[in-house]
Amino acid sequence: MRRKGRKQLLGTWVCLVLGGLFLCSLLFLPTQALARNIKVGIIDCYSGPPAVYAKDALNGFKLALKDINKRGVLGKKIEFTTRDTKFKVDIALNMAKELVMREDVDVLVGTINSGASLAVSEAVAKKEKVPFIVWIAKSERITGEKGHKYVFSTGENTAMAGKAGGVALSKKPYVRYWIAGDDYEYGHAIANAAWRNLKKLKPDVKIIGKSWWKPGEPDLIPYITSIMSAKPDAVIFCTGGRSMTNIMKAIKATGMAKKVPIWIHTATDHAVLKPLGAEAPEGVMGTMDYHFYYPDTPANRAFVSAFKAAYGNPPGFPAFHGYITAKFIAKAFRKAGSLNKKKFVNAMEGLKIEGPTGQIEMRSCDHQAVLPMYLGVTKYSPKYGVVISSNIVTLTGNEVMPSCDEIMKARQKK
Amino acid sequence: MEAGHTVTLAAMGSHFFVGLSRAMILFIVSSGLSFVLGVLRVPNIAHGSLYMIGAFSAFAVSIVAGGGATGFWLALIVAPLVVAAVSFIAERSLFCRLYEREHLMLLLFTFALMLILDDLVKIVWGAEYRSIMAPDFLKGSVTIFKSSFPRYNLFLLIVGPIVAVALWLFTNKSKIGKIARAAAVDREMVGAVGINVSWVFAFAFVLGCFLAGLGGALVAPTVSITLGMDHDIIIEAFLIVTIGGLGNMWGAMVGSLIFGITQSFGVLLWPQFAIVFPYAAVVIVLLLRPTGLLKSVW
Repeated sequence: MRRKGRKQLLGTWVCLVLGGLFLCSLLFLPTQALARNIKVGIIDCYSGPPAVYAKDALNGFKLALKDINKRGVLGKKIEFTTRDTKFKVDIALNMAKELVMREDVDVLVGTINSGASLAVSEAVAKKEKVPFIVWIAKSERITGEKGHKYVFSTGENTAMAGKAGGVALSKKPYVRYWIAGDDYEYGHAIANAAWRNLKKLKPDVKIIGKSWWKPGEPDLIPYITSIMSAKPDAVIFCTGGRSMTNIMKAIKATGMAKKVPIWIHTATDHAVLKPLGAEAPEGVMGTMDYHFYYPDTPANRAFVSAFKAAYGNPPGFPAFHGYITAKFIAKAFRKAGSLNKKKFVNAMEGLKIEGPTGQIEMRSCDHQAVLPMYLGVTKYSPKYGVVISSNIVTLTGNEVMPSCDEIMKARQKK
Repeated sequence: MEAGHTVTLAAMGSHFFVGLSRAMILFIVSSGLSFVLGVLRVPNIAHGSLYMIGAFSAFAVSIVAGGGATGFWLALIVAPLVVAAVSFIAERSLFCRLYEREHLMLLLFTFALMLILDDLVKIVWGAEYRSIMAPDFLKGSVTIFKSSFPRYNLFLLIVGPIVAVALWLFTNKSKIGKIARAAAVDREMVGAVGINVSWVFAFAFVLGCFLAGLGGALVAPTVSITLGMDHDIIIEAFLIVTIGGLGNMWGAMVGSLIFGITQSFGVLLWPQFAIVFPYAAVVIVLLLRPTGLLKSVW
């Protein structure tokens, strides 16, 4: 009888101690551990010409995940699956739906195609209430007029790039402009944003002509000679993707940069300049939101050397976007403390992370990452053996982003 | 609209030459397509992919040769030969079994071949943009009609006619060229007089593809060498062959000139809608002469 009582007492003690330990562990953990790994579904174009950029972004994402998963997120890891959109809107939509319905992903990430990103944002993210982070596509409509609670962007957009160009050009004496570019959403969006801002800052500027060619047009010489024969004060080229290489080659071949000032967003992109080697024209103004050689800070150097060690080449701007996207996702889940999608979205709003270029904030009004723009002029660098961006001027995120009021107005208008 | 700067005669002149130089590349590629179409009756959709392989091979050769002028000239010779070798393998292992099939089957087959070759290029060279350089004396520009004209385009203006004349001499003066032309008109008859038609076909196919490779190597220094460049050219080449007259080499020349020059003038006259001009020209030609401008061999 007595022995039995002692046994019971012992049992109670064990229970109490274990219970106490459990309670203590709860106190030390900020929140509850997650039930399972975090699933990220990535849709992007992994075939055809845009694959270069998509792979670069994915590599940046993977590099950040290595670090994040070492530490874990609330006791679990972040895992991801990728789907190839083949640069097609309908495939992107199907893949996004499949990832949400079948794979039950917690967050969608993608794509390089603005049209596809907008479609996924509307038809999947908004409808199914799944957070969607756009990391390369540059249409300002993603977080602008078509923005909503479930869509985010970790890349710079056409409004920011255009404003950066507009601000830069407004400080120059040019008045008569020619605008030319790829005849698709990106080209026109850059042209509109640059012109809108330039005209606002310097009302006496005027357009003397425009040319639009099909994206990827191989022969741009006729366009350039016709622009040069019209003798504009400066030219705004709105080209992207492989047209970038074509336009840079045509500028070099015709010697245009020596005769007319030119601004092209991404003219200073390493992915454009490197393959051209010594054939890249010097003296072209360009804007970028990331350079592996600028800013020359310890954080950026560390990111670049880790990326080089893992993938053999320096990171491009998509890698930078991929890297900060992973950091945003991890930090937001830590803050949210659960896999609940609404809580994740709330955690993302106003979230600040430390990126290679400094602190980056996810603006809460429009879900657009606040990124600075680097304005520079192409120049040969003996150190890198290729043409790079020089005389870099940094325009802060707040300088180049449309204000929250403008965004809200644009959203109401639609 | 803001457009409407004055179009000077000088600008017209320089654009004529710019269009002409583009037409040379188009001619080299589309004459190859036309030749294959004429002799083999194969609408080779993979022709564009062979053009792309030509450009990529030119890149590879120039890298191996250490870039520079030697790299460029070597690339110009070796790249088309690489393409010819690829096409020879494709012809002997696959095409030669399919000539008797109907056109739809051949069309599907070449389409499949295009997809396979595209993926092959991706496996071998990856998805990055590539670029090669022209030798120094072809870099930069000269002033023609008061506007700058790239030296490389001048070079194309010289190469184009040389290729055209060589091709004409070959098909009209050499024995095998004559046999190929005869096979285009009546393949049974050629077989009946004791000629091995299968090898004539192989030869014609390889020659056509060689031209695609040559076009790719020639265009390489002026554009970014990348996946997808095949799609641009194949549509244009088919349109050119159609308006010129199927299988007619001079038709390919006329078609290329129409295509290149309307595009160039379109850019000058109405830059915002320049894309439309060459296609509008194609529509007009086909409305007036549905079988093409010159005599089709079909």
